[in-house]
Parts: sequence; structure tokens; C-alpha cells
Amino acid sequence: MSEAPLVSIQNLHANAGDTPILQGIDLELRAGEIHAIMGPNGSGKSTLSNVLVGKPGYEVTQGEIRFRGEDLSEMDPEIRARAGVFLAFQYPVESPGVANNYFLRTAVNAVREHRGEEELDAIDFLTLLKEKMKLVEMPEDMMSRAINEGFSGGEKKRNEILQMLLLEPSFCILDETDSGLDIDALRIVANGVNQMRSPDRAMLVITHYQRLLDYIVPDHVHVLSGGRIVKSGDKSLALELEEKGYGWIEGIKEEGATS
Amino acid sequence: MSAFVESIDRARQAAAPRANDVPPGPLAARLEAMRADCFAAFEAQGLPTRRDERWKGTNVSKIADLAFERVGASDDAGNAFANDPRVADFEPDLLFVDGRMVQASAGRADLPESIRILSLAEAAAEIPDVVAAELGAVADPKTDPFVALNGALFENAAVVVFAPKARPARPLRILSVASASNAASAHFSRLLFVAGASSQGLVAFESMSEGDGPGFTSLVSEFRLEADAKIASVELQTEAADRVHLSQTFAALESDASFASTVVSLSEGLVRSEISVTMQAEGGSTWMNGFFLGRGDAHHDHFTTVDHAAPRCTSDEEYRGVLADDSEGVFRGRVIVRPDAQKTDARQSNPNLLLSEGASIDTKPQLEIYADDVKASHGSTIGQLDDDALFFLRARGIDEEAARLLLTRAFAQKIVDGIFEPGIRALVSERVDDALARLEERST
Repeated sequence: MSEAPLVSIQNLHANAGDTPILQGIDLELRAGEIHAIMGPNGSGKSTLSNVLVGKPGYEVTQGEIRFRGEDLSEMDPEIRARAGVFLAFQYPVESPGVANNYFLRTAVNAVREHRGEEELDAIDFLTLLKEKMKLVEMPEDMMSRAINEGFSGGEKKRNEILQMLLLEPSFCILDETDSGLDIDALRIVANGVNQMRSPDRAMLVITHYQRLLDYIVPDHVHVLSGGRIVKSGDKSLALELEEKGYGWIEGIKEEGATS
Repeated sequence: MSAFVESIDRARQAAAPRANDVPPGPLAARLEAMRADCFAAFEAQGLPTRRDERWKGTNVSKIADLAFERVGASDDAGNAFANDPRVADFEPDLLFVDGRMVQASAGRADLPESIRILSLAEAAAEIPDVVAAELGAVADPKTDPFVALNGALFENAAVVVFAPKARPARPLRILSVASASNAASAHFSRLLFVAGASSQGLVAFESMSEGDGPGFTSLVSEFRLEADAKIASVELQTEAADRVHLSQTFAALESDASFASTVVSLSEGLVRSEISVTMQAEGGSTWMNGFFLGRGDAHHDHFTTVDHAAPRCTSDEEYRGVLADDSEGVFRGRVIVRPDAQKTDARQSNPNLLLSEGASIDTKPQLEIYADDVKASHGSTIGQLDDDALFFLRARGIDEEAARLLLTRAFAQKIVDGIFEPGIRALVSERVDDALARLEERST
């Protein structure tokens, strides 16, 4: 492909607080591609997603992240979001007192304004909301409730995907979206994600288990360990990893170190 | 002598307190005696100081230094507000302008039959025994010098009576407005509510000011709830900066009565808001909810007392405070459980949000428990907006200011949601939104 990558991560080093976690990540995502990142606990998966969306407390110490050619690390989180970067959180927050529908309309209109589109009024928004809610099989009464308050684990994750469907980002990061989901919820969430597959959009699916990748089939699989990508391959790598376990990766790392 | 007391003396010499238009007779004589007693009680107590346990949180010199040229309304007070859109929007059943009761035309025609609103003169003619027994009986002038002063100086009182078993179809709306004036004036208004046995009703009250001019407003409300009466009161305080606003509410509950009070205080000046509920017979219940938002140099002093004077009564209190800019908040939650008040259940909480370095909150629960079979809990917290929630909203494209506003608004929502009547809830919601919008303007 001759087109420039949508997302280009080069030699990325980053700290969580004062602790160095990412030790030089190189990764390119082109529009239309789905990349999966797998790795054991503590390998830096969540740090990578937090760094990409600019969470306070995470600092890029070296290297760069470019999104549509622009340096992402210079942008505030809300600017990244409006530009089209979206993280489906591993642990969605509860926000008592903030009504879901009001929050969603505020967010959608912030993004629309950035794109130079007209704001949606309450009625147009409701129509859009109902359409997207069907895709993630969410009951309507969940919308008048506070954000994630009293939601089950599965409902919270579905709410994240609903936000993604409404905001229509061009770079979607899913951080362990499968964690804590039973098989039905996993299917619903994966359906929502697959609705978003598009030639204009790239996705980074971060997961601990191969199971999710049966539903969201990636083009590329990368294995993260010790803050570095130690192996890349196609979807068969995920299966191989599932079969051999993360201990296999430790072996690869040592080979790399001695050769 | 302080400027405040000098102003009061000058005003009293210039014009004797009005006789409330009550025709001469035993009741008029009794009211005159009450006023004299109240003034004597004020003089005996003097203005409070910080040594006074009830006034520890507030610098009373801000009140003591206040000089005013007039006590009560000017002669054209009523006319000034005839066409004010805010008055029309509020649709008051009862309108006070500068402490003077102005018969509001709006709303009066459809006043539910089970509610009567009487001027003191009307009440004196129709229910003299009630006036004689209740006015000044629930609010004891000896508890506080400003209660005493209100009793001595109120221009006229309104008496609101809920008939026994009343089920009014809509809330009662009362508005008090302080008019704009270059010269400071002091206003004293008085309300007496008598809720008959098994009556139910909601009273919504707002104190607003027309402009930013200086001045002093004193409101004393007395609620007498007969057996099984269930009365909710929603009070909005939205006076401007430079004003001193004192609101003192006293409620006395007979057996199985319940009183639900919501105070939403958005004033920019000095506010002292006091609620004191005495459950004097078995089975009473009290809800006290409050939301206060301080900004600029505002000072909010919320002083609440729940007196469990009888067995098997419950109280549930939650005041939520948001302090921005250089504002100061004070919360005192007194809960008294008398020796006879076994099986008491008393809960209290006071969470606060501090939005700036310069803002402060002084919060103190005061539990005085003299019975042994009691469930009581209390808690105060002081915090900032939740960082994770803030980041979450930003990560969805909402800018930081708007995200802060959204979370601050959310903090108030629980108190707003506690108002069960949709029309009043919407009114309060709108006032809170307006106040928060002004908060945002200031910071940008």
C-alpha cells in the first residue's frame, strides 16, 4: 500500500508515573486494518492505550505518535477525541448524577462541531441514539440513568461500544474489552465492533486472550512483552500463542537478547 | 453601638412599628406586646459574636457594619415589580416586596381550595385563636437575636393554612424580592404555616433580589404540623452579591407528621440559612436536604438542628456544598436526641466539593444523644472532582471546563432529584444551571 499510515508509532518510550513502561514501540496502522496486541499482565498493554489517548499521569519520554501525520502527544485528550481517537476503557467509570443521554449528546455535538457538522437537536439525537442502541442490544431505559451507575460489567462494556458507534472515530482502541464478559455479551460487543469495520478506520484491539479474536478477526497480531513488541504475525500468531502460552514469549525474548 | 443597631434605632424612632393593620382589640394588643417582648429579647441578646456557639462560623461584623437608611418597603414597593418578568414567570401565590406582602394577582384565582392565604389582618378576623397561639410560638425569640428582631420589626405576616386532610392539586408558590436601590434597606418578612391534621402539601419559596445593591433581608418561617401532616418545603435563595440574607425556619411536628425541607442556596452574598425541626411527638419524620453553591466572595452558613424530643422519630439529612473562587461554606448539623427519644433513627451527611484553592468549608456535625436505644450516623467529606471521571469525559471530546461543569452539576443532582414535584424540580434545576453557567463565565 502506498498510502501513508493512519497511525504511526515510532520508538515510543513512556512512563506511567515515574516508572518506565514502554521501551521502544514501533507500530503502523493503515486505514481499514485491525491490529491486535496481546501480551501477559504487566507487559505495557494498558499503558500503551492510556498514552495514546493522553491520560494525565502518562508521559512520553522518547519517540512519537503520529495520527494522520500530526503529533498526537501535543494534543489535549479532548482534542484527540474530536480528531477521531477513541479508547473503549477496560474499567469504564461510573458518574453518578450525569445522565447518559445528556452526556452522549454533549460528546456527539463536541465531535460534530469539530468536524464542521451541525449540532444535533434533542430529537435528531434520540433517533440516532435509538438506532445505535439496537446494535448493542441496550434497553432504552439505560439512557436516562446516570453513566454506568448500577450497570453490570457487560452493560458497561456495551455502553463503551455504544459511545464508539455514536462518535464514529477513525482510530478505535479497545482495551481488554472482553474482560469480564460472558459469551453472549462478548458476541454483542463484537457485533458492535464489527459494525465499525471500515476502509476508513483502523482498530487496535488489546486483549489478554485469543477468544475475542474469534469474533473480531485481526489483520495483524503483535505480542507485547516488557514494553516492546517482540513478535508480529497474522491471526495465526494469536492461536499459536494461545496454544503455547506466554512462557513461549519469554523464550523468544531471550533468543532475541542472545542473538 | 454598631452601624446595624444604630440604623435599627433610627428607623424605630422615625416610625413606630406598624400595627399590622390588625383592628384594635385583644389580638392587636397581644401582637403589640409580642413585638415589645421581641425587641426586649433582641436588646438583651445583642448582636451575636463569634464566641456565640450558634454563630461561630460567620463573621457577624459584616452584618454589624451594615448601615441602612430604611426599614421595610418604600411606598411604591409593590408597583416596582408589577411588570417584572421574573415575577410573572414564578407565578407567585404570594409576593413579598422588600418585606411587604403584596397581594399577587397571578395564581390566586386557581389557588387550591384546601389552602388559605391570609394577611395578618385577615387572620386576626377569621382565626384569631390560631394567630394568638402560633405566631411566635414555634420560633422562640430567645434562641437568636435575629429571630427576636424579626418578631419586633416584620412589616406584615402571611398566614397559610392547610385544611385538615388537604390534598392540594399544585404547590403553593411564594416569592420574596428585594428591590434595587442605591441606599441599603433592611426587610423583615414573616410566614406562619399551619398544616391541619393529615394534610399534605408543598410550599416553594424563593428569595431573589432585583439588583446588586446592598441590603439586609430577614425571613422567619414557622411551621406547625398537626398529627399526620406531611409538608414539603423547597426554598431557593438567589440573592445577589453585597446582600445579607438571613432565613430562619422553625418547624414543630405533632405525632406521625413529616417535614421535608430542601434548601437550594445560590446566593452570591452572605447567607445564613437556619432550619430547626422539633419532633415533639412519636412517629415524626424529617428530611433535610440542601445544596449550596458559593462563588466570588460568597459566605454560606447553613445551620441546621433536628430535635428528636419523642420516641420513634426518624431524621435524614444531606447537605451538599460546592465552593468556588474565594467563597466560604459553613455547615453545622445539630442532632439532639432527648432522653425519652428511644428508637430514634438519625442520619446525616455533608459531602463538599472545593473547586479552587481559595475556597473553604468548615463542616461540623454535632450529635447530642441522651437516649440509649438510638441509631445515628453522620459523615462529612471534602473533596475535589474525580480525576478519572473528568478524564473520561475529556476522552469523549468534552472540553475540560464543560466536563468540570457537568460533574459539578451532577454533584447537585441528588438534591434536585429529591424534589418530587416536577414543576418545582424543573424550576430549581434551571436556577442551578444558571448559577453554574455564571460560575463558568467567571473562570473563562
